[in-house]
Amino acid sequence: MSHIERPRYQCALGGALVTINAIERAVAIVHSAPGCAASADGAATVGAGYWGSTLTDGRATPSTNIIERQVIFGGEERLSEQIASTLDVIDADLYAVITGCMTDIIGDDVRAVVSEFQKQGKPVIVAETGGFKGDSNLGADFIWDAIVTQYLTPGLPKDNRRVNLFGFVPAQDVFWRGNLLELKRLLGRLGITANTFLTPFDDLKDLKDAGRAALNVVFSDVHGVKPAAVFEETHGTPFVSEPLPIGPTATEAFLRRIAARLEIDPARLDEVLAEEKAYYYGFLTPLTDLYTDQDFQRFGVVIGNVNYSYAVTRFIADDLGWIPYLVAVTDLLTDEQRASVVARFEEIPEILRPKLIFETDTDRIKERLNEELASEADPYGSPISPAYVIGSNLDRPLAAELKAGFFGISYPITNRIVTDQYYVGFRGGLRLTTDIVSALVANR
Amino acid sequence: MGLKHDKVVPGREDRVAACMAHGGCASGMGKQDKICLKNNERTFSQAGLCQLLPTLGMLLTLPDTAVIVHGAIGCGSTGFGMNTAIRLHHVLRGNPNAKDSLWFTTNLDESDVVHGGEQRLEETILTVAEKYRPQSIIVLQTCTPSIIGDDLVGVIEKVRPLIDIPLLYSHCEGFKTKVWATGYDVAFYAIVHGFIEKDKEGPPPKKGPRQPGERPVVNVINLASMGKPDEIEIERLLNEIGIDVVIGPNFANRETVRRMTQADLTVSVCPTHDDYLVDYLHTEYGIPFVLKDMPIGLANTRNWLLDIARHFGLEKKAEELIEREESKARQAVQRFLPALKGIKVFISAGEFRAVVTGGLFQELGMEIVGLRSYHHDEFGTEFYEQLVRAQQGKDFPVDIANFQPFELINLLQKVKPDLFCGHVYDNGWAAKLGYPTITIFRIFDHYVGYRGFYEVAKKAARNLRNPSFQKRLGENVGSAYRPEWYQQSPFAYIKTDASPAAAA
Repeated sequence: MSHIERPRYQCALGGALVTINAIERAVAIVHSAPGCAASADGAATVGAGYWGSTLTDGRATPSTNIIERQVIFGGEERLSEQIASTLDVIDADLYAVITGCMTDIIGDDVRAVVSEFQKQGKPVIVAETGGFKGDSNLGADFIWDAIVTQYLTPGLPKDNRRVNLFGFVPAQDVFWRGNLLELKRLLGRLGITANTFLTPFDDLKDLKDAGRAALNVVFSDVHGVKPAAVFEETHGTPFVSEPLPIGPTATEAFLRRIAARLEIDPARLDEVLAEEKAYYYGFLTPLTDLYTDQDFQRFGVVIGNVNYSYAVTRFIADDLGWIPYLVAVTDLLTDEQRASVVARFEEIPEILRPKLIFETDTDRIKERLNEELASEADPYGSPISPAYVIGSNLDRPLAAELKAGFFGISYPITNRIVTDQYYVGFRGGLRLTTDIVSALVANR
Repeated sequence: MGLKHDKVVPGREDRVAACMAHGGCASGMGKQDKICLKNNERTFSQAGLCQLLPTLGMLLTLPDTAVIVHGAIGCGSTGFGMNTAIRLHHVLRGNPNAKDSLWFTTNLDESDVVHGGEQRLEETILTVAEKYRPQSIIVLQTCTPSIIGDDLVGVIEKVRPLIDIPLLYSHCEGFKTKVWATGYDVAFYAIVHGFIEKDKEGPPPKKGPRQPGERPVVNVINLASMGKPDEIEIERLLNEIGIDVVIGPNFANRETVRRMTQADLTVSVCPTHDDYLVDYLHTEYGIPFVLKDMPIGLANTRNWLLDIARHFGLEKKAEELIEREESKARQAVQRFLPALKGIKVFISAGEFRAVVTGGLFQELGMEIVGLRSYHHDEFGTEFYEQLVRAQQGKDFPVDIANFQPFELINLLQKVKPDLFCGHVYDNGWAAKLGYPTITIFRIFDHYVGYRGFYEVAKKAARNLRNPSFQKRLGENVGSAYRPEWYQQSPFAYIKTDASPAAAA
């Protein structure tokens, strides 16, 4: 490990916290020093297009706020007191105890404390999420593992038209709510009930009964894969990893795979695909003059997490007809996880396959890009002119330096607010085209 | 001890007996046993801040500085919100090309927790110095390296000779104090030690006495939360009575910070924020100080200006200015007064800001019906009494709480104000209950001095004129708390040494 410049994620505690915060009627009980919850939540909510706080997150997050005395004498008693009082004060149906660095290092036996409440039938779960264990993506895996093993009802009969959608880490995917809702809508058109869990409109009962699903779809090659494996082991639901489908090409391929797997009527599938495509092209076609006359094809530089970097690259290659030049994946990954990302990028036809780098630091991404550019002699300027950068707010200076177009789609995004926007599916692809091209005409 | 000799900045619960948990009434403030107050705890608590966050918020304002947060990854991930505010501050300060703040995490992981993080820290400092070429580097020590025993000062002193820019550091582990305002002290400590005490040129010599005819210079200690418009108002008022100002240390570079040692007087705009630094400048440089008021509201501004003017025999000039300005401001707010008369206001912010803003509202004919202070210390005490007196003895509840929105929401439902005026992240709770809100500070707006008096009146009248955003929210947002909670005292979960919390 080495230091990281302006990390594009929070710690494990942060990932667990935002996951719980995104689940309706679930509340976190943070067992840590006073600033941990506010710090993680603040970073996630501001960076996620001003997600903001609902009712039991932000500064309303129940937290033990342990200080030196508990660090010396242990914080178990304080945790027990806080769980009991939270059950009294907060009106929720799932209480998730998550821990920070301090309590993990001093070795509080939080599982023993929580099990006392579980024995009384209280809906309390626990995950050890000390920040030093990793980033928000890992923390989200920890809390999903806890939910799957401690909260879900075991032994439910399977419903072969029901799936659970995983692989979304709130805030790390700034558009997780909109994306989930659109995926649910699309799958619903095929007669598949999709549980999304992380939108304001989800019912906690669907989470409790998630074991009924015939299939878990993990929209990531990395995030959410481990808990999906635990899910399979515990509740017998298999899982597939799917790239986030952005735009008509990727979405059609995704829906065809899912339909085949769940044995959906092919006629119904074709009907839905035709209608959704008609929507996309109904709006896209009239833009053809602008797009072609102004030559809006670009060399693409894509910067983001595992899920978005591949999905956006596929979209600009397959649907927008751009040339992906360099892709920087900013997540902290194990060798094995990297290999799965590399394998995924190898699915892109060689002529359009970009240079793929794994880099956490904004400044290093620029250096690596410049090295790449320097290796291609171009006596008249930049080999990637005209260029376009699709990344996060941190990557705006890079775009300015390249005199490139810029659009922010990955965390952090602080220059616009995000509500129900989404980029998945046919309509999400249309939205992305709209946003990307709008940036090119913004000064007119 | 003090800023110069403290090895580690003491928590404010020890240094000024600051209290974080208390519920009572305004007339009773200052009458309780301070030690009891300071020991109060909550048996149910919600997320607070830790001292790292205000420290980071202040130190990220220093231009062209790289901040290294030594710890696990999360402590270094929180800069984005601060970054946007700080960038806008710089834009307001006339730098449209302001760069993003730069910060790093040493990213301590499980293996580092076992083996120690000193080497990582050393490598990080050297890499950042060489590669990013900042004007200064600041290292913040968080909980994890502190617990595992990393020797921060050892690493700092080892690398200091190897780099040619000021190296600042501070211990700001969140678990060391429950009073996050300690973070202000920690930031001052880092700034003073980095730019003055341990600077390569050493501390500047003390300035000689002022020459006859030389205009006096005063330090105005600014706040990261105070916008440029307020600094301009302060500068304008002091300049008009013949005083020059140096504003710092937020947003200041090394040279400006060093110039602060050469002033004739140090002036605070928020005593509870600044006393640690003010004391240093007094002890080490013999610079007298005014640490009493905040220039918000007419009476407070008057007192603040006169206290400063008195130091230089400029009272007469100050009186003339005050008469002129007050008359203009009073005239200007006339048109808002009918809308504000008798409006019941609830205020929530850092203690000092809250009480002086209360004074301003009273001058506009409004009544305080409740107040929440983030902590309580002696600087605020006398103001509560003044506020009660100013509204003919009408007392009001006071909640001393490091946020704790569950107490606030309970209290608001009991006192039902006409208007809520709160700090960032407070207004939302009131708005979701349907109460009209105005924000107690915003870096683009005026709050201080005469212009501030006018602008706050205007802002309040504007929000009261159409509070439909909040009203509709109130009709459509549910409650996170059990109905029983609203039947209890808002202070039911505060445990004092004498009486354990009723609900515990």
